Amino acid sequence: MKMDRTADLVPDVPAASPEVFRQLGTITRQLHDTLTELGVMPKLQRAADRLPDARSRLTYIATKTGEAADKVLSSVEQAKVEHASIASSTRAIAAAIVANPVRAVASGAVMNFVGEVEASTARIDRHLTDIMMAQDFHDLTGQVVAKVVSLAADLEDSLVKLLVQAAPHELAHKVETSALNGPVVDRTGRSDTVANQGEVDDLLASLGF
Amino acid sequence: MNNAAALRFLVVDDFSTMRRIVKGLLKDMGCHNAEEAEDGVQALSKLKEQSFDFVVSDINMPNMTGFELLAAIKADDALKHLPVLMVTAEARKEDIILAAKSGAAGYIVKPFTKATLEEKVHKILQKMATPAVAPNPRA
Repeated sequence: MKMDRTADLVPDVPAASPEVFRQLGTITRQLHDTLTELGVMPKLQRAADRLPDARSRLTYIATKTGEAADKVLSSVEQAKVEHASIASSTRAIAAAIVANPVRAVASGAVMNFVGEVEASTARIDRHLTDIMMAQDFHDLTGQVVAKVVSLAADLEDSLVKLLVQAAPHELAHKVETSALNGPVVDRTGRSDTVANQGEVDDLLASLGF
Repeated sequence: MNNAAALRFLVVDDFSTMRRIVKGLLKDMGCHNAEEAEDGVQALSKLKEQSFDFVVSDINMPNMTGFELLAAIKADDALKHLPVLMVTAEARKEDIILAAKSGAAGYIVKPFTKATLEEKVHKILQKMATPAVAPNPRA
């Protein structure tokens, strides 16, 4: 009956053998039974329900950290300009004092320099305070990260059980890791990664680069 | 780093923060002439339109990865002379080996220090100044 309806919907596709449908039905039933036995389905369902929440949490982290990084870099760039200005003024006043100390003081150049340094350091102090305040993202995102990590652990637990059950025996130990590209956060027990720049250099040197 | 000061750098990274950090460090090294690109596609386009002396590239990027960019640069007769320094969070040995075999001039893992970047850039520039093989007289 169902086969006839399928054929009506997709008339150009040659009719598959009833044996194919029987096998598909068997596989589907096996998968359903396995998932139920493992207790994975309710857990996966719960985890899936929390995914939109996780997405918004991760977006929040990305936004907060991005804003903090921008704020810090802008403050550093402005403070460096102030710093360069002080350095330049210092060299100029030093040259003036060496050339003619009396004139440097009498002309007001020394006092102007003192005032300039005072104003500049006040501005640099404000930039440093901004940099300090920008670190508040750490506290906020830390809490969010903890919740997302908990969700990820639930998902991992469910998916590993599913993978072990579903994968052919000879492939069960081979887990594709390309999707996990990025910083290696835990190198414990891993020999396929390097721990620092020194190991990168040693590896390249051993290859003749 | 006097020789680096006159060079034009292209900093490729999908994170603007990292681009700013690398540019800031290059500036501290006296290299004030640095452009940015968000991914391999934009980088390749800029490399074909403008003249650069040095490329500093991330690996994991959308549209075109650092490896794909490296391959494209090395496959282009007009660009293949450019040194490409990979600066990436990828710490897997196979990636480091692949980068070296694909023609990368250097490889830095994040997080890195100013001293590391300075040392690698300096080393690459020294290597460029000293050709490893005699020039082809027919070239």
